[in-house]
Amino acid sequence: MKIIACMKWIPDTSEAELSIASGGKDIKKDDLDYDLNDWDRFAIEEAVQLKEKYEGAVTVVSVAPEDAEEMLRECLARGADEAFQIWNDSFEGSDGFVVAKALAEFIKKRPFDLVLTGTLAEDDGGGQVGGMLAAMLGVPSATLVSRIEISDGKAKFRRELEGGLYENVEMGLPAVISVATGLNEPRFVSIRAVRKVASVDIPTVDLDELGMNENQVGMEGSKIVIEKVYLPPEGEGAEIIKGSTEEAAARLAEILKEKGVL
Amino acid sequence: MKNIYVLAEHRNGTLRDTTWEALSAARSVSSQLGGEIVCLLLGNNVSSISEKLAQEFSKVVVVEDPNLETFNSDAMTQTLSTILKDESDYLLLMGNSNSVIDLAPGLSVVLDAALATDCFGFEVSEGQLLALRQIYSYKINALVSFKNCDKIVVTLRSGSFSFTPAGQASGTIEKRDSPLASAKLRKTFVSYEEAEKGDVDISSAEIIVSIGRGIGDEPDMDMYQSLADTVGGVLACSRPIVDKNLLPKYHQVGTSGIEVKPKIYLALGISGAFQHVGGIKGSPLIMAVNKDPRAPIFRVAQYGVVGDINEIVPALEEKIKELKG
Ligand SMILES: Cc1cc2nc3c(=O)[nH]c(=O)nc-3n(C[C@H](O)[C@H](O)[C@H](O)COP(=O)(O)OP(=O)(O)OC[C@H]3O[C@@H](n4cnc5c(N)ncnc54)[C@H](O)[C@@H]3O)c2cc1C
Ligand SMILES: Nc1ncnc2c1ncn2[C@@H]1O[C@H](COP(=O)(O)O)[C@@H](O)[C@H]1O
Repeated sequence: MKIIACMKWIPDTSEAELSIASGGKDIKKDDLDYDLNDWDRFAIEEAVQLKEKYEGAVTVVSVAPEDAEEMLRECLARGADEAFQIWNDSFEGSDGFVVAKALAEFIKKRPFDLVLTGTLAEDDGGGQVGGMLAAMLGVPSATLVSRIEISDGKAKFRRELEGGLYENVEMGLPAVISVATGLNEPRFVSIRAVRKVASVDIPTVDLDELGMNENQVGMEGSKIVIEKVYLPPEGEGAEIIKGSTEEAAARLAEILKEKGVL
Repeated sequence: MKNIYVLAEHRNGTLRDTTWEALSAARSVSSQLGGEIVCLLLGNNVSSISEKLAQEFSKVVVVEDPNLETFNSDAMTQTLSTILKDESDYLLLMGNSNSVIDLAPGLSVVLDAALATDCFGFEVSEGQLLALRQIYSYKINALVSFKNCDKIVVTLRSGSFSFTPAGQASGTIEKRDSPLASAKLRKTFVSYEEAEKGDVDISSAEIIVSIGRGIGDEPDMDMYQSLADTVGGVLACSRPIVDKNLLPKYHQVGTSGIEVKPKIYLALGISGAFQHVGGIKGSPLIMAVNKDPRAPIFRVAQYGVVGDINEIVPALEEKIKELKG
């Protein structure tokens, strides 16, 4: 089975204090750490587990600047067989549509049974690249998938609905599956495993190899454009309890008592 | 804008609220940019649903087909693209449900439309539609434009547009033939499956101590369980805790987990993503401890402590024990 896993390199914003960059169209990213999108860690793990179960090979690919090489190397250490980085500076400012298009052009040239992506990336919260990519490749797709089995040339999988409900669905291959977090346990990557892949070549794929030009990428090729970003207004919100740990804990306990809970 | 389409969403014969929320959004856009609001209902044996819709919408377009019995994104895409293929200058609105997440991206490509997902507001500037969404772990608002694209698909964050059905309209119901008759579906629905139920039922708990990713990679789970026991509550969590197998799925609060309606909800190291707080119903007293003063949870909490849960939690348990005497 030939599996292609799409990995996104994103700034880790969950705990960082964020501020708006000049121009007001993005945040300041210089001080942020970048990492593999959390959902994609489950996608690469699933790719490797499927390979281990059904045999085959795993290719990872990312539309990302140079620095992302360390993420791709980590994916090799996780068990991927080869990695590619798609980049040209004109990709800066691309929306999900452009990224999907670049991935589609890359994937079209290589035979595959399954493309795996995360359902959502935590930077743009788009949840769109997987489905768009499938439509561009002309294959079926599914998102929020929390269990996958392959048999009779089909993917038999479970996808998440709301409120603890799931649906079991079957789909012919080739196909694109976007995974949900939690469908497997991403393996621990040892330093040894990383060392073993330290010298593997990770080719960079440029626009001409994709048959694309600069007008098709970046803001120009995008269908949506960010006009303005801002921190949500403070608004009503919580009363923040000030003071030392002791004082704050005491106040919380008092509130519980006032509410008749204790 | 010529038309604003609203996709009706239903499951097991029942309309979902996302439909009404999308209608509310459609009205707000239409009041600024014009456009006839048309409801699209795709399903099987849905006459009672179509009548309900016609009491709110002036026009309902219905396509019935056995393949539309459940929300099959492949069948939906084929049907919607047939309906919309010769249209332009339109906006298609749908709730950002887990079903629509499966549909919207691929559909937008097939329709050659611009897509903005999970939007919670609209603005109009110089006659152009702008949509409001959140980026960077839901901590930043972003206003996006659709360039000059005249086909726009927008999915809506649930709870962002309120609407109560009034039952006042008497809209027309227009039936269209299903294009699926001869088409081959690439996906087939097999069955629904319910998540496993466990020994605790957090949905009926009055006091919930809920933990999130802020507990770190090697958490002291006993510390949190002990706090929950001391306040006489149950332990619940956000999704990443279940993903890491620290607690079973039936402890997960949120849209894809369990809806809870406690009196007190103590959120520890939880950022407050809307899929999480979307599972907290009945406006309980929410108290949050988070080291990030900008964490979205502080917007929905009544009381907040900006600090480290590793320090606050043991101190809080001590104080509670003291007060209980
Ligand atoms: C379709 C879909 C369905 C989903 N369904 C659900 C659902 O049902 N339930 C759910 O919960 N999520 C759900 N999610 C995921 C959701 O979007 C968030 O990713 C998730 O809720 C984040 O969990 P968290 O708050 O624990 O983690 P994070 O967002 O990573 O937040 C951790 C927080 O802990 C704080 N912190 C870190 N260390 C400390 C410390 N020592 N002391 C104090 N604070 C600390 C940080 O400042 C941060 O705010 C869903 C997502 C999607 C796309
Ligand atoms: N730049 C990228 N390179 C490779 N894969 C990506 C990229 N952007 C998004 N993806 C994939 O698409 C998924 C959804 O991303 P998004 O549509 O941005 O929310 C991610 O989890 C990745 O698997």
